Amino acid sequence: MSTGAIPFYQKKFFRKLIKKSLVSLILFAGSLVILSPIIWMISTSLKTPEEIAQFPPSFLPDQFRWSNYIEAWSTAPFTRWAMNTSFITFFVVIGSVLVNSLVAYGFAKIRFRGKNILFLIVLSSMLIPGFVLLIPQYMLFSNLGWVNTYLPLIVPAFLGNAFFIFLLRQFFMTLPNEMIEAAKIDGANHFQIWWKIAMPLMKPAVITIAILSFNGAWNDFLGPLLYINDEKLYTLQIGLQTFKGTVQTQWHYLMAASVMVLLPIVLIFFFFQKYFIEGSNITSGTKG
Amino acid sequence: MKKILLWLTLFMLVMGLLAGCSNSNGEGAEPRKTKDGKIIVDFWTFWGSETRRPIIEKIVDDYNASQDKVFIKHTFLPWGDIWTKNLAAIAAGNPPDVIINDINSVSHRAKNNQAENLSKYINNADFKNKFYPELWKTVEYEGDPYAVPFNTDTRLLFYNKKAFKEAGLDPNKPPETWEELEAYAKKLDKKDGGKYERIGFYPLWGSFGPESWMMNADNGEGYIDKDGDVAIATKEKVKALNWIKSWNDRIGNENINAYKADFGSEQSNPFIAGKVAMMIDVGTFYTQIRDYGKDMDFGVAPIPAVSKNEKNWSQGGGFVAEIPKGSKNPDEAWKFIEYLTDTEAQTYWATENFDNVANIKAAEKAQSLLEGKDKEVYGATVKNMEVTKLHPVPVNAPDYQSKINPTIDAVLLGERKAEEALKEAEKSVKQSIDQ
Amino acid sequence: MPPLFKYEGGFEMETVYANKKKKKISKKSQKVKAKNRHMIRSLRLREELSGYLFIAPWIIGFLFLMLGPLLFSLYTSFTNYNITSEMEFIGLENYKRMFTADQLFWTSLWNTLYYVLFSVPVTTAGAILLAVLLNQRVPGMKWYRTLYYLPAVLSGVAVYLLWMQLLSPSTGLVNTALSWFGIKGPAWLFNPDWTKPALILMKLWSVGGGMLLYLASLQGVPKTMYEAADIDGAGSLQKFFYITIPMITPVIFFDVVTSLIGGFQIFQEAYVMTENGDGGPINSLLFYNLHMWNNAFEMFNMGYASSMAWVLFVIVMILTVLNLKLGKKWVYYDGGDEK
Repeated sequence: MSTGAIPFYQKKFFRKLIKKSLVSLILFAGSLVILSPIIWMISTSLKTPEEIAQFPPSFLPDQFRWSNYIEAWSTAPFTRWAMNTSFITFFVVIGSVLVNSLVAYGFAKIRFRGKNILFLIVLSSMLIPGFVLLIPQYMLFSNLGWVNTYLPLIVPAFLGNAFFIFLLRQFFMTLPNEMIEAAKIDGANHFQIWWKIAMPLMKPAVITIAILSFNGAWNDFLGPLLYINDEKLYTLQIGLQTFKGTVQTQWHYLMAASVMVLLPIVLIFFFFQKYFIEGSNITSGTKG
Repeated sequence: MKKILLWLTLFMLVMGLLAGCSNSNGEGAEPRKTKDGKIIVDFWTFWGSETRRPIIEKIVDDYNASQDKVFIKHTFLPWGDIWTKNLAAIAAGNPPDVIINDINSVSHRAKNNQAENLSKYINNADFKNKFYPELWKTVEYEGDPYAVPFNTDTRLLFYNKKAFKEAGLDPNKPPETWEELEAYAKKLDKKDGGKYERIGFYPLWGSFGPESWMMNADNGEGYIDKDGDVAIATKEKVKALNWIKSWNDRIGNENINAYKADFGSEQSNPFIAGKVAMMIDVGTFYTQIRDYGKDMDFGVAPIPAVSKNEKNWSQGGGFVAEIPKGSKNPDEAWKFIEYLTDTEAQTYWATENFDNVANIKAAEKAQSLLEGKDKEVYGATVKNMEVTKLHPVPVNAPDYQSKINPTIDAVLLGERKAEEALKEAEKSVKQSIDQ
Repeated sequence: MPPLFKYEGGFEMETVYANKKKKKISKKSQKVKAKNRHMIRSLRLREELSGYLFIAPWIIGFLFLMLGPLLFSLYTSFTNYNITSEMEFIGLENYKRMFTADQLFWTSLWNTLYYVLFSVPVTTAGAILLAVLLNQRVPGMKWYRTLYYLPAVLSGVAVYLLWMQLLSPSTGLVNTALSWFGIKGPAWLFNPDWTKPALILMKLWSVGGGMLLYLASLQGVPKTMYEAADIDGAGSLQKFFYITIPMITPVIFFDVVTSLIGGFQIFQEAYVMTENGDGGPINSLLFYNLHMWNNAFEMFNMGYASSMAWVLFVIVMILTVLNLKLGKKWVYYDGGDEK
C-alpha cells in the first residue's frame, strides 16, 4: 500500500509489536489491581487466626498454614454439600443451555403472531424486583410439596430465563436469514436448523450461557436457603455461612473454603475460554 | 416436528422422575415422624459455627435422650437469612416448631401474627420470675407472652491496663463518669505528629451507638420512654449528641474514618491491636481478647455514667425461643422451650459460651462455676444486668431507626445542629406512630 | 464441525421462490392456484406452530412460575398485606403514601437514578474496552481472560469487606494511588457525596461478566471485514468505530437494557456495606430496592413494598420500551430485519 522509504516505526511489523507490547502492559498493570482481592483471600486463608487478628495486617502469612484447607473442609460435611451443589448445577446448566437457546431461536428466527408482544413480556418479567415474588413463589412450591427438594432449584432452569433468552436472541438475530431459508429448502425443519446450524455457529454464545448458568447455580444462595430444610441437602454457599458466627468469624476457614468453592468456577472458565479464540466466527465456521 | 415432541416428552419424563424422587422427602400434612415413630420437632438456629454448634447440639441431644415420643431436629440456618426463611415458611404454613429470634422485635412479630401466644402454657408467675424482668418485658405483647428469653448481652467498658500504666493512670481505677472518661481518653491518646498512634477512646466504636449514649444520659430512657411516649429530643439526649459530636471535633472525622475503615473488615480489632485504649463492647468480646489478645492485660468496668449521681446505664439485646405461627407441634415445641430455658441447659450454655443467659439462677450458677479471669468478666456482666436496658422495637413505628439515624449522621458530620435535628426526628417518629 | 447444510446459493432463495411462483402462475390453472395458496397457508401455519412450540417452555414457565406471583403482588399492592395475617383491600392508599408521605421513597429513587445514570455508561464502555483488549493475540491471554473474569464471580461479603479496605480514606489502595498523582482522595464510604461513586467504582471492577458477552460477540465479526479495511488503509480506531462497534451493537443493546434493569435493582452492595442495611451516611446509599426490602422484611409492610415494586416496574418499563424503540435506529442485525 505504500512505496518508497518509510521510517522503521511505521513499518507494519514494528507497529504490531508496539501495539502488542502496549496491550500486554495495560493488561498486566490492570491484572495487579484485579488480583489484589484474590491474593488477599488466599493470603488470609493461609494464616492462623491469631495472625489475622493482628494490626496492621500482614501481606503474606508468616507461615503457610495449608492445614486450614483440610480443617475447614472437615468441620462440616462439605464433600456431601459439594456433591449436592454439583448435582443441582449439572441439571441447571443442561436446562439453561437447551431451553433458552430453543426459546431464543424461536424469538429470533421464526415468524409467528404475537411474537413482539410475547417478547416484551419476556423482558418485562425481568423488571419486577424478585423480593415481592419471593413469598408467593415460596407458597406455590410449598403447595406443590416441593419444599425440601431440589425441584424449585432445577425445574425453573428448564422453563427459560428471561436474561438468557434475551441474550441468545441477540446472538441468533445475527444469523443470516438466507442461511435459514436455504436450509429449509433443503428440507430441514426449524428444529434441525436450531440444533445443527444455529447452535454450532453460535458456540461462543452458547458457551457463555453455560458459564453464566454454571456460576449462577453454583453461587446460588437464596434458592437453597429458602427451599432446603435438611442440612444433608445443603449446598456449598450455605455451608460457607457456618464459619460466620454471631460473635466471631473464622476468617481463615471461611477464606480457605471460599477459595475451594471458587476453584471449579475458575477451572470451568479457564477451559472453556478457548472457544473465544479469534477466528471461530460465522464466516470461517461456514466456509470450513 | 416429531423430534420436538420427543424432546418434550423426554423433558416431562425427567421432570416427573425428579418429582417422584422428591416426594419421599416432601412435607405432608401429617406430623412427620422418625423411623421409630417419634414426632419430629423442627428447631432452627443460626448457631452453626465450630464453637457454638456443639454446645446447642449437646443440649438438644440431652433432651432427645430423655424423650421417647419426640425427636428434636436441629437445623442450622445462616444468620439474618434465617428469619426471611421463617417468614416465607409461616406464610406458606410450614414453619419450624421452635426458632431462635431477636428479642427486641418480639412484639412486632406478635402484632403481625408470626408467633404463637404462649399464655396458655404459662399459668403461674413462677415461670416468668425465672428471667430478668427487663427481658421478660420485651416478650409480652398486650399482656401475653409470645416468646421466652434465651440469652442476652450487656455492654461493658473494656480498658487496656498496660496503656493505663503507660499514661500514668491507675489500672485499677477505670473512669466512672463521662468527665473522667474524657480526661482519661486525652491522657491515653498517643500522637506522632498529626497522626494518632493510639486513640484513647471514641464513643461510637465497639457496640454502643448514639441511641445507647443518649439513653445512658437520659436516666435509662430510650427513644421511647417507659410510658411508651416518644422522647427523642429531650434536653439530656441533645446534650449527649453534642457530647459525641465534641469527640468528632477533637479527634477529627478524618482520623475517625481512617480507623473505622481499617477495622471495618472485622478481622482485626482496634482494642486488641492496642490502637484504642478503651472500648465498649458486649461481654463475649472477652473470648476474642482471650483467643487473639496474646495475654493482653485488660480490665472491665460498668459504662461511665453521665454524672456522679446518675446510674451506669448500659444497653442489652439478646435472643428468644419462640413458636412460629402455624407450627404443627406446638405442645411438643413448648416442652422443649421449657427445657431450653431452664437452669440446666442455661447453665451449660453460659459456662461454655460466656454468653449471658436469661435465666437468673443459671446466670448466677455459671458465675460460681467459673474461675479466674473468666469469672471476673462473667461476674461483671451478670452484675451489669441490673442497669441494662433493652430497646424493643415500637410496634407502631418499627422503622423508627431509619428516621432518626440519618439526622444523627448529619449532626456528626457537622451539617446540622443537634437540637433541631432531633426535634425533626421526633416529629417524624410521632407522625408515624399516630398514623 | 462441518455444518450439515451448505448455504451456497441460498442468497438466491428469494428469486428461486419467485420463479417457482411464476412458473405455477403461468399455468393459469385456477385449481393449482388455489392449491398453491393452500400450501402457502399451511406452510405459514406450520411456521407459526413451530414458533409456539419453540417458545413453549418459556410460556409454560411464565404461566406456571411467574404469572401467579406477579398477579398476587399486583393485588397485594392495593392491600395492607403483612405476609402472615392481614390482607385487606385499601385501594390506592399505598401509592398515595409513597408519593405524598414517604420522604425516603424519594431519597431512594434519587439515589437509584444517580447510580443508574452513571454506572450504565461507565460499565458498558469499560466492558467493551476490556473485551477488545482481551481479544488481541498476546502471550498469556488465557490467563488474562480468566483473571479479568474473576471479579464477576467473586461476590458476597468477602469482596465488599475488601473494598471497604481498598477505599479506606487514609490507608486504602485507591487513595494511596491517587496520592501518587498529587490528588487527595475523598473519604469514599464515609462521605455521603462519595458513597455512590464508590459503588460505581466497585461495579467497574467487576465488568468481567459484561466483558464475557462482548468477547463472545467479537467472535462473530467476520475477519474478512478487517482484511478489507486493511486494504483500504483504515487505522485501528477507524476499524474499531466503523466495523467492531456496529457489528456488536446487538450485544451492546442487550448490555445497556439489562444493565439498566440491573442498575435499578441494586441491592446487595448497599445491604452489606452499610451497617444493618440502614442506608449509609445520611441515607446516601438507601437504594430503591433496599428501602423496599426494609419495608417488606423488616417492617412487614409487604403491601407497600409491592406497590413500590410496581412503580419501579412502570419506570423501568418505560425506559426499556424507549430503549427498544431507539434500538431499532442503531442496532444492526446481520441476519436481516426483525419482523
